[in-house]
Amino acid sequence: MIAGLRSTARADWLTGLVLLAVAVALPFLFPSRYVVGQLTLFFIWATVVSQWNLVFGVAGIFSLAQMALFAIGGYVTGMLALYLDVSLWAGMFVGGIVAILLSLLIGLACLRLHGAYVALLTLAVAQVMYLLIITDTECFMKQGVTCINFTGGTRGLARFGDFGFRDWLPYSLVPLGTYFLALAVLAVATAFSIFIIRSPLGLAFQAMRDNPGYATARGISRFKYQLVVFAASAFFTGLAGAVYAGHFRVMGANVLYLSLLLFLLSMMVVGGIGRAWGPILGAGALMLIDEGLKELVEWRLAGLGLILVIFVVALPGGLAGALDGIRERFARRRTAEG
Amino acid sequence: MSGSDAQPLLTLRDVEAGYGGQRVLRGVGFDVPAGQVVTLIGPNGHGKTTLLYCISGLVRPTRGEIRLDGQSIVGLPVDRIVERGIVHIPQGDMIFPDMSVLDNLLMGAYLDAAAATREERLHRVLSLLPRLAERRAQTASTLSGGERRMLAIGRGLMAGGRILLIDEPSLGLAPIVIDQIYQVIADLKAEGRTILLVEENASRVVELADRVHLLDNGEIVWEGPAAELAENDELLETYLGG
Amino acid sequence: MDTAIQIVVSGLTLGAMYAVSTIALSLVWGSLRMLNMAQGALLTAGGYAAYTAVVTLALPVWIGLPLAILVGAVIGALMYLLVVRYMLGRPGFETNVIIGTVGIALILENLVLRLYGAYPLQQPIGLPDGFQVGATWVPWQNVLILVVSILLMVVMSAFLERTRAGRAIRATAQHQRGAMLMGVPVGRVYIQVLMIGGALAAISGIMLSTITTLAPTMGYDPMLKAFIICVIAGLGNINGALFAAFALGLFEAAVQYFLGVRFGFPALLLLVIAALIWRPYGVFGRRKQARL
Repeated sequence: MIAGLRSTARADWLTGLVLLAVAVALPFLFPSRYVVGQLTLFFIWATVVSQWNLVFGVAGIFSLAQMALFAIGGYVTGMLALYLDVSLWAGMFVGGIVAILLSLLIGLACLRLHGAYVALLTLAVAQVMYLLIITDTECFMKQGVTCINFTGGTRGLARFGDFGFRDWLPYSLVPLGTYFLALAVLAVATAFSIFIIRSPLGLAFQAMRDNPGYATARGISRFKYQLVVFAASAFFTGLAGAVYAGHFRVMGANVLYLSLLLFLLSMMVVGGIGRAWGPILGAGALMLIDEGLKELVEWRLAGLGLILVIFVVALPGGLAGALDGIRERFARRRTAEG
Repeated sequence: MSGSDAQPLLTLRDVEAGYGGQRVLRGVGFDVPAGQVVTLIGPNGHGKTTLLYCISGLVRPTRGEIRLDGQSIVGLPVDRIVERGIVHIPQGDMIFPDMSVLDNLLMGAYLDAAAATREERLHRVLSLLPRLAERRAQTASTLSGGERRMLAIGRGLMAGGRILLIDEPSLGLAPIVIDQIYQVIADLKAEGRTILLVEENASRVVELADRVHLLDNGEIVWEGPAAELAENDELLETYLGG
Repeated sequence: MDTAIQIVVSGLTLGAMYAVSTIALSLVWGSLRMLNMAQGALLTAGGYAAYTAVVTLALPVWIGLPLAILVGAVIGALMYLLVVRYMLGRPGFETNVIIGTVGIALILENLVLRLYGAYPLQQPIGLPDGFQVGATWVPWQNVLILVVSILLMVVMSAFLERTRAGRAIRATAQHQRGAMLMGVPVGRVYIQVLMIGGALAAISGIMLSTITTLAPTMGYDPMLKAFIICVIAGLGNINGALFAAFALGLFEAAVQYFLGVRFGFPALLLLVIAALIWRPYGVFGRRKQARL
């Protein structure tokens, strides 16, 4: 078992480095602004899904508040820049920390809940946040002749600046700024999530999932560990929100749309819930499928729905699970022959 | 009645089963002739309950044969197996906690075959188990341990069935209550019912059973008439602590 | 006094509609351990099916309505046959079923969008006129909704309590393995419950569309409210859910009246968050969550 773990770690490192190398090379192979932009978005979503996967798939918390954490990261960063002239680079980390605080609040509220109840509470929190933003119609500050709301209201928070790549890079390379920033965040977030999954903590969560009585039998405070994972993953989610804000230079309540949440959920499912490389596989697959579905504009929803159903019925382990299965069968044959 | 020349009602051969890679039953085989009380004894955790689950279909054996009246029932869905006449009164009772005693009993007669003679059966069960009659409108979760056991048995009797599988009827009950339960089982035996009884408590079993099988570590290590067991001190001590 | 009547009328109507869709959700959850995220879509489908039957196909109401309800039941059956059936017995059923039903909901919503467009439609079914109580106008439609809901509750209750199939459903809810040992075919219970759930959702959708309009996304909010009610009552607790449905309807009507429509929903959500923190298993719920 230990030997297996060591080889898994090696495999993980290898996979990660290869993917990183590919990601670094891509913008130079496909220098189109559109492609770079889409890949940046892919990095951002993959980051969110990797953290959501930790919470949902590994720690077993049915949270639907992931985007609320994402939003608060982005909004805090934007607001700090807009109202207090704080650089986005510094604001990013503050955003991450505020996301941690919000997740702790949510986590404590979910103290005695489980399953569907957690889903409902977290959904309610996200919905309250959404409503607070879009009903924010009071004039908070004047910018020239226009009135802006504290949260930006329905128009969204804007004109808070960006990461400043325009000052350092030639015009054609500016998109690469957020590209590599998003990639860096994804790399660290993925490393973190895989670390947790392969760690004793991750294995403990796995055991608890396979055998619900395990935790109580061992006297493990399941909740404490869940809270830790929840809070830690919130940091990276908030960070992703900040990168999103700096990339698009606008932060709106549209990130809290149910349709976006379902899109990200699909990424998690297709990738494989609880699997280490699931989020990246899933995010990649869904972004590609979405590109394809853009042709069939009117059937986009159904296409997404069909994918969800097919995966949940036929491929419950997702793409990552399928790959693991293939790899296992390969290994078994090798040991049988060898 | 129970002709020894007739084919046994229930036959098991080489049954293997387990949970998640762990093998619990390692090739179990025996017969239950019609009209007899066959008991399965042995230390706990060694597969007795699993074996009953295999017969009623809640667990699928990985290998082996289980035949009712010569016909294989392995792999059939539970409701089909029950339809064929296997009535399993499980360990832990599995009663429906928020339904009344009466509703629980009526569930026992769920199957079409049983529903036809439901009223008659209900009458008989309630006279056999008068405590249930007293409490017929009570919610099952408010019953005492012994009463729940009676309810589980009464519910099983509502089904009619051709063979009764009874899993540890004395588990967790006071001696007085155990007496009552075993009296009921004795009455059933007198009626000529076929019973496969699982018990950890060998002493009770010896009075009632026609044949005894000892299950240890997933295998049958001894079998014989109940009388022989009573005389075999060595066995009694080794496996059952006297 | 008039204020009170106003609130009671709106509140009872809202409550009645919520009650019907809540029974569907609670029944499916309680007996099948399924959180049916397609509930809203079924609601929508029912409303549109009624519209199609009565307007597009010009069928008389007494044929059209039952047909629309049948559509709900059929979709429920298809959900089982095409999707849920394959997930039974596998680990992670509860999670997978949530995602699976989300997928089904998306497909249904897309179908509705394609067939009818995104523009809201007027549901022509409904009783005209009403009567005056003091200074309040009470439409007959609202009274009909209330009567139908109560009738449905009585019928469902009788079905669950007195019939063999209803008993089997309750037994499955309380102890699935125990029910199997009684000879209950669990697959049949699933299909029955999903069909009933689908039919009830369709009815609630038809009722809702007579008060508001038909729109492809009309099911989201009622579904969320049904969840809220079920959770507050404790998932699986049908009686508690009915009580909570009416309580919530009245609460929402009151908030809308005094604070404006905008605050109805957020107030509800905050109430839910508070309730869940105070009582983690629902206000009337128990640990075991099976109460049918």
